Amino acid sequence: MALHRRTFLRAAGVGLALPLLDALAPRRARADATASVPRRMVCINTPLGLHPDFFFPATAGRDYELSPYLEVLQEFRDDFTVISGLSHPDVGPSHDSNQSFLTAAPHPERRAGFRNSISLDQFAAEHLYGQTRFATLPLTCEGTTLSWTRSGAPVPADAWPSSVFARLFLEGRPDEVEAQARRLADGRSILDALREQARTMERTLGAADREKLDEYFTSIRELEQRLAQAEAWSKQPKPQVDAKPPTNIQNSADLVGKTRLWFDLMHLALQTDSTRLITLQLLGTSSVPPISGVNQGHHDLSHHGKDPTKIAQLKNLELEKMKTLRDFLTQLRNTREAGETLLDRTMVFFSSNLGDASKHSVKNMPVLLAGGGFRHGQHLAFDENSNPPLCNLFVSMLQRMGIEADRFGSSTGTLTGLESRG
Amino acid sequence: MTGSWTGRAFWAIAGWALLSASAFAAAPPADSFFETTVRPFLARSCVSCHGGEKPKGNLRLDGTTWDLTQADARERWFAVVERLRDGEMPPPESPQPPEAEIRALLDGLAPRLADAEAAARAAQGRVVLRRLNRTEYENTIRDLLGIEIPLKDQLPQDGSADGFDNAAAAHHTSSFLMEKYLEAADVALNATISNRPQPPPVTAKRYSMKDVHPVRSTTENVYRFLDDGEVVCFCSSEWHNVWVSGFYPSDAGKYRFRISASAFQSPDKPLTFRVTTTGSRLTGTSGLVGYFDAPPDRPTVFEFERQMEPKTTISMLPYGLAHANTVKQVGGETWEGPGLAIQYVEVEGPLHETWPPESHRRLLGELPQENFPIYNARDRVEVVSSRPEADAERILTAFLRRAFRRPVGDADVAPFVNIVRTKLDDGYTFEPALRAALKGALIAPDFLFLIEQPGELDDFALASRLSYFLWSTMPDDELFALAEAGTLKRPDVLREQVERMLADPKAKAFTENFVGQWLGLREIDATEPSHLLYPEFDHLLKVSMIREAELFFEEVLRHDLSLTNFVDSEFTLLNGRLAKHYDIPGVEGWEFRKTALPPDSHRGGVLTMAGVLKVTANGTSTSPVMRGAWVLDRILGTPPAPPPDSVGSIDPDIRGATTIREQLAKHRAVESCGVCHRQIDPPGFALESFDCIGGWRDHYRVTGSGETVVIDGRRMPYHKGKPVDPSDVTPDGARFENVDQYKQLLLRDRPQLARALTAKLITYATGRAPRTADREAVEAIVAAIEPNDYGLRSLIHEIVRSELFRYK
Repeated sequence: MALHRRTFLRAAGVGLALPLLDALAPRRARADATASVPRRMVCINTPLGLHPDFFFPATAGRDYELSPYLEVLQEFRDDFTVISGLSHPDVGPSHDSNQSFLTAAPHPERRAGFRNSISLDQFAAEHLYGQTRFATLPLTCEGTTLSWTRSGAPVPADAWPSSVFARLFLEGRPDEVEAQARRLADGRSILDALREQARTMERTLGAADREKLDEYFTSIRELEQRLAQAEAWSKQPKPQVDAKPPTNIQNSADLVGKTRLWFDLMHLALQTDSTRLITLQLLGTSSVPPISGVNQGHHDLSHHGKDPTKIAQLKNLELEKMKTLRDFLTQLRNTREAGETLLDRTMVFFSSNLGDASKHSVKNMPVLLAGGGFRHGQHLAFDENSNPPLCNLFVSMLQRMGIEADRFGSSTGTLTGLESRG
Repeated sequence: MTGSWTGRAFWAIAGWALLSASAFAAAPPADSFFETTVRPFLARSCVSCHGGEKPKGNLRLDGTTWDLTQADARERWFAVVERLRDGEMPPPESPQPPEAEIRALLDGLAPRLADAEAAARAAQGRVVLRRLNRTEYENTIRDLLGIEIPLKDQLPQDGSADGFDNAAAAHHTSSFLMEKYLEAADVALNATISNRPQPPPVTAKRYSMKDVHPVRSTTENVYRFLDDGEVVCFCSSEWHNVWVSGFYPSDAGKYRFRISASAFQSPDKPLTFRVTTTGSRLTGTSGLVGYFDAPPDRPTVFEFERQMEPKTTISMLPYGLAHANTVKQVGGETWEGPGLAIQYVEVEGPLHETWPPESHRRLLGELPQENFPIYNARDRVEVVSSRPEADAERILTAFLRRAFRRPVGDADVAPFVNIVRTKLDDGYTFEPALRAALKGALIAPDFLFLIEQPGELDDFALASRLSYFLWSTMPDDELFALAEAGTLKRPDVLREQVERMLADPKAKAFTENFVGQWLGLREIDATEPSHLLYPEFDHLLKVSMIREAELFFEEVLRHDLSLTNFVDSEFTLLNGRLAKHYDIPGVEGWEFRKTALPPDSHRGGVLTMAGVLKVTANGTSTSPVMRGAWVLDRILGTPPAPPPDSVGSIDPDIRGATTIREQLAKHRAVESCGVCHRQIDPPGFALESFDCIGGWRDHYRVTGSGETVVIDGRRMPYHKGKPVDPSDVTPDGARFENVDQYKQLLLRDRPQLARALTAKLITYATGRAPRTADREAVEAIVAAIEPNDYGLRSLIHEIVRSELFRYK
C-alpha cells in the first residue's frame, strides 16, 4: 500500500496522532517484499541552453542523423530519445524559467505574483516515501535549486559534493553520531512543543495570515516526520563504498570539473540505492570556464548575438558538457543490478529551461531522455508552435516510475511516441 | 508622461493579469444592484473587449461575480471605478455610455467598495503576515545574541514580490526551510555560548609575502624579492591575487590586520590595491574589504579589523598594472613598470574583550561553569545550575521578550520551560536542556514572523515595523523602552526616532536593501560584460558603480534633498575609477567624494549611473525595451504589462549590420505591439547613448567589420559600428533629441515621480504594495512633501506618520 504523504498531510489535523508514523517508518525489508523493480529518475538542467543548431537533428524518426552534440553520445544511440519542439505552455522568455523547469508553474518571468508549485522529483517522492535513506537528492553546481515543494517553497540544493558524500557514506566519529542523534531528538521535542501553539495562535488572526501560519505548522509536521525517518535510518549502517571522498572544486567557473564530480557522486548514490530521485542544476555563470579554446564567460557566449567567434567557443564548451553526460551514462551502463544495467532502471532527463539562450526563448527546449527502459533510438519531433506540453513527458516518466499519476503540471496526457520497453 | 492616476491604474492592471478568472467564481452574496445596474452596464459597454478567453488588458468582466469579500475582486472593481471616473474607459473610439449611466454606476459601486474594503481592513489589515527574510534573520540573530556570524547563505534564497524580498506574498515555508532554521539556530547558539574554559590564545604574527601563495608556488616570474622579506607585485592578473596563506585561523573571531605597503617604481603616483577575504566569492561588494591607495616609496600601514570565519584569510591584488603574460616576458627582477611593494602583513587575534564572551554572559548571566569533557575536547565546560528549572525560566523569560519583540507572559514561556523539563527528565544536563529550549524559541513563529493584529499597531509591533524598515533588524533597547512606556506612537517621538535611526550605522541596511532592489543593483553580477566589447571593465569599476548609487541615495536622504535628484542632479559621488569612466577630470584614487557635474557630462540622477545602465543591459547588447520598462517601473511607477505569450523575442545581433532601433521599428509598426511599445521604448532609446557598462557612446561597438578603434595607442578588440540615435517621441507627443532632454521631460510631472517612489518605499516598509484603495493615503503623503520640494527625508517621515505604516 502506498500511503502518500500528501494524502496523509491533508488528513492530519492539528493534533496529529504520532502512531501513524509507524506506517511510514522506512523498512528496507518492506520495500524488498513488494519486489517491484526499483525505478529511478535523474533530472538535469543546463541553465544557459544548448545551441539549437548543434543539438537538434535535422531529420525525425528512427533513422535520424546525429547532430554534432549527439554525435558525442553515438554509442548510446539506442539508449536515448531526443525530442524537439517541447516547452512549458505558460512560461515566458526569461532566465526565470529556470524556476519552472520541473514544475511548469506559469509565468515565473513576471516575478510579481509568481507562485511555484511542486517539482517532478518532489511529486514522485511523495509516492516513494520511505523507500530510501534520502527521498530526493537536489544538487546544484551554482546555488539555485530545481526542486520545489507543494507550497512553492524551494527545496535547498546541496552545492558541496564533499558534504553530500559524508551524508551518504560516512558514519562520523562517535561524538558526532551522538551529537546528531541528540539533534534529531531535540528537534522532535521542539517541533512537538511548537505544534501545540497552533491552535491558540491561529484563532487571533485573519484569513490571509492564517494561511501563512498554516503553511508554517504544516512544515513543522512534515519536518517531524522527516526527522522520524532520519532517526530510523540512522540506526541502519550507511552503505560502504570504495570511492574516496571528493574534494570540492574551488574554481567557481569550472563547469566541467563540477559536473563530473556530481556525476560520480550521483552514480554512487544510485548504485547504493541511497536515493532514487536526483535533480541537478548545472553551472551557468558569467565567468570564463577553464576549457581550452574558451576565453569568454559562459553567459556572455550564450548571448552570442550571431557572432561566429562566440558560437565557435560556445560549441567547444557545450561539446565538453556533452562528454560529461556521455561518461555519466557509461557509468550507469557499466553498473549492473539484478541482471539489468543501472541505466535501464534510471531515467536520465537532460534539458534546458531555455530553448535559445541568445534570445532567452523558452520554446523548443532541447530534450534528451536516456535510459529508464524506454524504446529509445529515435528523434521525436513536434511542431514548436503547436506542441504537447513538456509535462506530458513528465507524466510518462512518472508512470514509468510505477506511480499511478495521469496528470502533472500542465499535462494533457502522456507523450505520444514514447513507449516503454517491456 | 502620464500626469494622472491612470499610471497607477495601468500598474494595477498589470498585476491582475495574473489572476485567473476563477478568482471571480466564488458565490456572490445577493445584491440586486449588481444585477440591475452593473451587469447590464458591463454587457452594453465593456464585455465586447473585456470578455471571452482573451480579454483586453487581461481584464475579464463577463461572468464576474460580486463577492467583495475577495481582495482580488475588490481590486478589480476599484480599477473599473477609476477608469470610468477618469474617462479613460470606454476608449474614445468606442461608443460612449450616457453620462447619467456612468454616474449611477459609480454612485452605487464606490460606496459599496469602500465599505467592503474598510470591513476587510478591520478584519485582516492591509498587509499579510511577514516572515523574516534571510538578511533580516541574520541581522536579527546578530542583535539578539550579540554575535557576528554569517547565516544568510545557509538559508534558501527568498522569493520577492512587488520588487522586494521582504514581501509576505513571496514567502513560503517548508519543512526544508524549518530544517535549515534548526541548523542555523545550532550554529548561532554555538557562537553565543562558550564551552571553552579560557579564550583561544591571541596570536600576533608578521608574515612576509615571499612565503605565501601564489608568490612561493608560481612558475611565473612576475615578482621581485627585496630585503627583509619585502615583495613587489607587478601584475594585476587575478591568479596573482596574493593570499596571506600562512594565516589560516582555526577560531572564528575578530582579527586586526596591518598591511605595510608602498607604490614601487611609480614616481609621484599612488597605487591602488584591493583587499578581499577569501572563502567568499566576489559577488557584488561582498567579500571586499576595500581598495586602498599606497603612496609612492613611503611604506604605509593600512590597518583594519575584520570578523573572520575559521580557515579563511585575506588576499591582496594591485590594481591597473600589467598582465602577467607581459611581465613574465621580462621577469620580475628587471621589470621597469610600477608595482605594489608589500613589506609585511601583521595579523593579531582573535580579539576578546572579556571571557566568557559578552554574548555568553548576556544570555546566561553569571552561572558557573564546570568541566564536561567530550571525546576531542577534554577541557570543555558547560554552565550548570543548582536550581535548573528556576534558572531556565528566568533566562528564557528575558530571552523570549527580546526574541519575540514583545512582552511575554507565563503562557508564552511555559512551552519552552517545558522543553527544558522534558530534557532534564531524559537525563540531559542543564546546558543542553536549555539549548534545546533556546533553539525552539529561534524557530518559533513569534520569532520568525512579524506578528501584527488588525487595526492600529500596538507600540511593540510599531517598534518592529520601524526597525525592520530602517535597519532590517529587531528593535534596540531604546525602541523597546519607548514601546514599554507606550510613547512610541506619539508623532514627536516617532519623528525623533526616525531621525535617530537614520543616523545610526545600522541604517546602512536600508540603503543596501532598499536601493539594491529598487534600482536592481543586486543584479550586478547577472551578466559579465564581454571582454571583446568591454576590455576596460574590471572589478574596481563594478564595485564603484554600486557605491556611487548607494552614496548618492544617502546624500539625498541625509540632506532632505528633492527626490527629483534621482531623475537629474547637478552632482554625484565619484572616485577615480568612475570619474575616468565618466570622462570627468580631477578625481583620483579609491575614495569617493561629492563632485559637481560639468554641464556636458550627460550624468546626474540614477538613470545615467553606470550601475543602473549595467543591470539593465546584458554583457553584449543593450535593449531599449528592458531599459524602457525599467524606467516605467522604477522611476515612473507605471510598469508595462507583460508581453503577450505569442510575442517573439528580438534576436540580438552584435555583428553590426542592424541596430536595435531598426529591429524594433518593425515591432512598433504592428499596432498590437505599438500600444505598449510607444510607452516603453522612448526612455530606452534615450538611454541608448550608454553602453552595457554605462559608458557614453556615439557609435555602437561591434565585433563584425568596421572602423578600427585605437585608444591610448592600443588597438581595441572591437570595431566602430553604426551611430547611436537616442531621439524619440514620448506618448504625449513631446520630442527629445537625447537623454538630457528626456530627463527634463520626466521632470515635468514631479508629483508622479514622488508617487512612484512613495509606492516603492511603502512596499518595502510594510511588505505590501499600496493598492488602488490606498490612493488617497498616497496622495496625502505626496501633497505633504510638496512644500519641502519633495525632500526624501521628509518623505520617510510622512510615510512613518501615515496610516499605511501605523496600521496593519
